[in-house]
Amino acid sequence: MLFLIELLDSVRGFIAQGGNVLYIVAFALFLMWILMIEKYWYLASVYPKKRDEIIKRWDARTDTTSWYAHRIRDKWISEATEELESRMITIKTLVAMCPLIGLLGTVTGMIGVFEVMAQQGTGNPRLMAAGISMATIPTMAGMVAALSGVFFSSRLDAKVNLAKAKLIDSLPHH
Amino acid sequence: MKKVMNFVLLAASLSAGFTAVSQANELDDLLKQVKADRISEAKLDKQREAEFLSARADKQALLKKAKTRLANEQARNTRLTKEYAANEITLAQKEVELDNAQGTLGEMFGVSRAAAADAYGQITTSIVSAQFPGRGETLDRIANAKEIPALEDLEELWFALQTEMTESGKVAKFTAEVVQLDGTKTTEEVTRIGNFNIVSANGFLNYNDEVGQIQPLAKQPAGYISATASKFFNTNSGYAGVYLDPSRGAILALETRKRTLMEFYHQGDIVGYGITVLLVIGLLIALERMIVLGSMTSKIKAQEKNLDTPNDNNPLGRLLKVYQENKGVDAETLELKLDEAILRETPRVDRGINLIKMFAAIAPLMGLLGTVIGMIMTFQTITLFGTGDPKIMAGNISLALVTTALGLIAALPLILVHSIVAGKSKSVLHKLDEQSAGLIASIAEKESK
Repeated sequence: MLFLIELLDSVRGFIAQGGNVLYIVAFALFLMWILMIEKYWYLASVYPKKRDEIIKRWDARTDTTSWYAHRIRDKWISEATEELESRMITIKTLVAMCPLIGLLGTVTGMIGVFEVMAQQGTGNPRLMAAGISMATIPTMAGMVAALSGVFFSSRLDAKVNLAKAKLIDSLPHH
Repeated sequence: MKKVMNFVLLAASLSAGFTAVSQANELDDLLKQVKADRISEAKLDKQREAEFLSARADKQALLKKAKTRLANEQARNTRLTKEYAANEITLAQKEVELDNAQGTLGEMFGVSRAAAADAYGQITTSIVSAQFPGRGETLDRIANAKEIPALEDLEELWFALQTEMTESGKVAKFTAEVVQLDGTKTTEEVTRIGNFNIVSANGFLNYNDEVGQIQPLAKQPAGYISATASKFFNTNSGYAGVYLDPSRGAILALETRKRTLMEFYHQGDIVGYGITVLLVIGLLIALERMIVLGSMTSKIKAQEKNLDTPNDNNPLGRLLKVYQENKGVDAETLELKLDEAILRETPRVDRGINLIKMFAAIAPLMGLLGTVIGMIMTFQTITLFGTGDPKIMAGNISLALVTTALGLIAALPLILVHSIVAGKSKSVLHKLDEQSAGLIASIAEKESK
């Protein structure tokens, strides 16, 4: 428990140094990871059942070569891939957004720095340091968030594509 | 010339000799008169001499008197000199006596004077003086007094310090005259929190010790801070949280110079407003798309459950209608007909989505434009005023940064919204493109059996 309290405290200190933009980064990161975990879970436990069911239905068909059969096969594949690919755009967008949010933090931090400069002059660099840490920490946080997402989202993308290709291959024209 | 002058003078003397001869008889008369006059003048002299002799006796008496006065004064002088010398000695003795009598009290008077001077500075600038005006005058008198302070003065000093101490621990409500920003004076009820802040229903007030007036702040601090002040003022019982300025007004003064979010926004100027317009239009398009696509999806879902009666109000229904109208045709023709129908439906689904994407791309670019404009203005300022005052430059630089921030702030939600709307439209298009054909195929298969 004590460990958790210390963690919370360090997070609080981090946010106090980095400014409110970190909340947006945290939100984007949280959303991104929730969506990715959901996708992993879907690929691991829900999708195989669905795939097996579709394959079984296709194997049970007598006619697999006519135009009608092709359209029906396409429909099933489309339905399956739509579920596979749903929210992948959002995940990729969130990954792309993270550095942008970091950049926003940089800009707002620099605004803070120049605000201090406009009021107090450049005499005291300590006053400006707060704004500078508000500028740099969100940038770093945005980068880290994006990096954490880039690897897994591209792995996920590859997995989805593989699953799609495998499904198409599993529905042969007898 | 000289010869001429001599001649004239000779002629003149000759003519005068002639006149004297003609008046010889009158000289005898003159002689007689002179004799008579000599007798009378001698008489006069005698008289004057007598007078003078008599006056001389008087003067002698006067001289004598003056001399005795001089002697008296000199005697007095010696006496007084002696007395003065004696007094000097007594004075020195008395001073020693006074010092002995004062003892350590002398130091105390010095301390009390210094304390009065200290307290004067502290008390006149304290906001407690807003409630109890006129406390500074006594202290000022004690601090600047030449003589030893009287007992009343010492009591006054003690009383002033005690008042300040006691009042600084109190939260007091009192009515006072508040000089508004436009110069009008109003009588308001205000709450003093210790010697830190004065608040009223309208937020924080400032005590100007130079003129002894309570004035509202030129600008209240951020809303969540000033809201606590008025809430605290209106609290009658229990506890209420309030933002307190422990520096007795210095932080509040800084707060008034801090720019609000709205002021920051308006610094973005035309570029900032342009970005806002982009954001608003983009979000409106996205909202319209979401509503249209949402209702489309639900109608398609309803249609999927009821394939036999195609409804005209959704794309799937329209496709089913195409199939029902062309039931007899072969597969190839049906596919062509369906493709045509789908092509007709597609623009309705993905209309405006690319516009959102474009806006999301333009917004940061506009921010960049603002940055460049701001930097141009900064360098213009440098050309005019030099780099001496960073404050002048900082204004323009923050303008440049504000537009960048605005561009990013507009771009982020637009990108997110675009991804959501694009996902929705893609799923609807899938439904029409791939699944509707399959649906029709399965219907046709069933009917042919």
